[in-house]
Amino acid sequence: MSEDKKAVVDIDRSAYDYKDIENEKDFYRLKEGLTEETVLKVSEEKNDPEWMREFRLKCLKLYNEMEMPDWGPSVEGLDMDKISSYVRHKEDMKGSWEDVPEDIKNTFERLGIPQAERESLAGVGAQYDSELVYHNIKDEVAAQGVIYTDIESALRTEYADMIKSHFMKLLTPTDHKMMALHGAVWSGGSFVYVPKGVKVDIPLQSYFRLNAAGAGQFEHTLIIVDEGADLHFIEGCSAPKYNVANLHSGAVELFVGKNARLRYSTIENWSKNMYNLNSKRAIVEENGVMEWVSGSFGSHTSYLYPMTILKGDHSKMEFTGITFAGKGQNLDTGAKVVHQGVGTTSVINSKSISKDGGIGTYRSSVVIQSTAKKAKASVSCDSLMLDSISRADTIPGMDIRTDDADVGHEAKIGRISDEAVFYLMSRGLSEEDAKAMIVSGFANPVSKELPLEYAVEMNNLIKLEMSGH
Amino acid sequence: MNKNLDMRVNVLPALTYNFLHVNDSKIKEDGIGIELLNTPDAENVPDGVTVTRRVSYKEAGKLFEDNKKRILVDAGVPGVPNGDTSRRDDAQAVRTGMGIDIENLMLENGITTDVFTAEEGVKTKEPIIIRYNLNDGEGSLTSQVIHAKKDSEITIIMDYTSERNASGFHGISTRLLAEEGAKINLIKTQTLGDGFIHFDDIGGACFKKGAINVVSLELGAKKSWTGCYINLCEDETEFISNQGYLVKDTHSLDINYVADQRGKKTNVLMNVKGVLMDKAQKTYRGTLDFKSGSSASVGDEQEDTLLLSPDVINRSMPVILCQEEDVEGRHGATIGQLGEDLLFYINSRGIDEQEAKRLMVRAKLDSVARLIPDPEIAEKVQYYISTIV
Repeated sequence: MSEDKKAVVDIDRSAYDYKDIENEKDFYRLKEGLTEETVLKVSEEKNDPEWMREFRLKCLKLYNEMEMPDWGPSVEGLDMDKISSYVRHKEDMKGSWEDVPEDIKNTFERLGIPQAERESLAGVGAQYDSELVYHNIKDEVAAQGVIYTDIESALRTEYADMIKSHFMKLLTPTDHKMMALHGAVWSGGSFVYVPKGVKVDIPLQSYFRLNAAGAGQFEHTLIIVDEGADLHFIEGCSAPKYNVANLHSGAVELFVGKNARLRYSTIENWSKNMYNLNSKRAIVEENGVMEWVSGSFGSHTSYLYPMTILKGDHSKMEFTGITFAGKGQNLDTGAKVVHQGVGTTSVINSKSISKDGGIGTYRSSVVIQSTAKKAKASVSCDSLMLDSISRADTIPGMDIRTDDADVGHEAKIGRISDEAVFYLMSRGLSEEDAKAMIVSGFANPVSKELPLEYAVEMNNLIKLEMSGH
Repeated sequence: MNKNLDMRVNVLPALTYNFLHVNDSKIKEDGIGIELLNTPDAENVPDGVTVTRRVSYKEAGKLFEDNKKRILVDAGVPGVPNGDTSRRDDAQAVRTGMGIDIENLMLENGITTDVFTAEEGVKTKEPIIIRYNLNDGEGSLTSQVIHAKKDSEITIIMDYTSERNASGFHGISTRLLAEEGAKINLIKTQTLGDGFIHFDDIGGACFKKGAINVVSLELGAKKSWTGCYINLCEDETEFISNQGYLVKDTHSLDINYVADQRGKKTNVLMNVKGVLMDKAQKTYRGTLDFKSGSSASVGDEQEDTLLLSPDVINRSMPVILCQEEDVEGRHGATIGQLGEDLLFYINSRGIDEQEAKRLMVRAKLDSVARLIPDPEIAEKVQYYISTIV
């Protein structure tokens, strides 16, 4: 582990909060606001094919026509007229780490990304503001036919048709206002294709860094795991804190083929001025398996509910997530699942912690359509209140349209027991450490699903939050 | 009079995804005939309980207006859930499950209210019974206030019934106030005909150590809405509810129960058990709302739904809102058909599948029907269930 990663272990936020000052000489920044002109400018920057340019304009029109939902956290502090939709370094994306501009490289070095790549990843994509700055895949993984690249590059390859037929077909611009916005100004992100029967033994990772103040990040991740293939994809995100609102409205579209398996893990640690209005959706074919592992720690405001459509018979989904809402945060998170196929199974296991006035809301939907005979769904959500100035709300919904289904739901809200704290203190721990240990234990079902390095990072984030940094 | 109804009711305390269609419900019915505007005579009124007949809805509501500050006390940290809808019903001195549109309907139509008052210290054993025997084509819109003064206890059964094939309209609003140490037991049984449109709106508040106990069986009618909002505004208050329902044919039932836990050491248990058959639809919203200051409170909400047809639609929203650290909130839901193991066991005892289902439906609903403290009405309800299944 690098020195900087060790610094995180010692409860030091500096790695996340490090600001690389962006200057006009090195960075191109689109003027704030969202107009047809800005959308066309993004399109021009991306050198879009014609269909994509038209698509962006259609999305902008939809965006202007749609309202924000009436059920979520307030987004009053988000003014699109003060958000730049596109910021990039003037250097092009690199395939070699040495060629990445020094300032950006420093930031990612501090976050430990190159180290992780060397030690435990099959490939890495690093996005800085609106563009990928680095993308690499190990030779042996590429030799298996696995494609891991940015979408813009892939659009100019034999995979162009595949992208066109999948891009925003699962998450459509009419889904909600933020998806329309995403469609209009998306930039960066990754395209992954795992061919039939290929099992990628170690994970691929994308790391998203939004460094610029008053900017938006709208990356698009498109992953296709073909029949019988297997992939673990990890997503990390962070940003330094500014006094102005930043916006993240990414889109993740996942296509899991017959008998395939995809695990999608996220450790989200956006800074606390971030509006994280992100959308993720997976569709799973026969006997396919979709696994979500999600840790939400950062952001000022979050709307995040990864959705799975269990289309194929006997397809499965498992969601394991934790949300830690601290001071000034309103994190509205959860999961959605739609059962369509026969014998489909879903398990949602969610944990939420609220502290220092934070608002943590667990929100979910389980829909069992009439075709989903023999479907089974199980939802469990636990919320932990660490004081009485915070909120923990649980708002789960179920819509069941067949008798031949089995749905179970349980939820609990409570506090750390005094007895447990007393016991640990009698063993020599301070009250703060005792509580941190109990919270780590509460989060254990999530951290045990992550690769070791990420579980360590998640536990460090919990320590950071518990210590009030 | 003939009325066109257009009301938004049963609004979820904290809104969620619109695609689930659970955020509220609409009552939109044209040409509803309403002739009966007074509560029928109550039977079995014991000494120590006074009944004041035909008070205006507004006048009867003065009891709550006078205590509004006490009922809606908010001693804690301000804060609302995402998608909060509470401001909508701010004008209600005592909030009701179905909300302000019902109150407005009552006020606009000059509905009278019968006020039942249990005097201080009076504890009655026998239930007061109010029977609504509605004829085909009849419409009824009535209101009651039940006021249990300090250390009293009152039990009231309201039974709404008609011929099985009858049509009509039945709307009712019942407001409750349990003062210090008082207890209100309210039992409502509904076996209206298959053409009836029916709503039942309850709102109540408990002062220190006060308790409200609601038993409800919704078994008939074509379209039903029920709502109940109990405000546990002071310490050591309690709300226990046991609901049972049976929805069949193309009928629908829409429920909104809310326990607003404000006092310390409040206790809530909400049980709901039901059966959906044929092409029936049901939406259940149940909310435990632990307000700031409700320390040492407990809330438990359990839903058990048996689905007996591939064409039913079941929607459930078991919500917990919490702004207090020192509470225990739980909810659980079990939704599905009879377990294969259970069916196999019953089959192995020589009982076929249809009979096994019948037994289980009756067992589920009988467990609620047994809570009716009048043998004759309990038997009638149990017989009604047996004829349906």
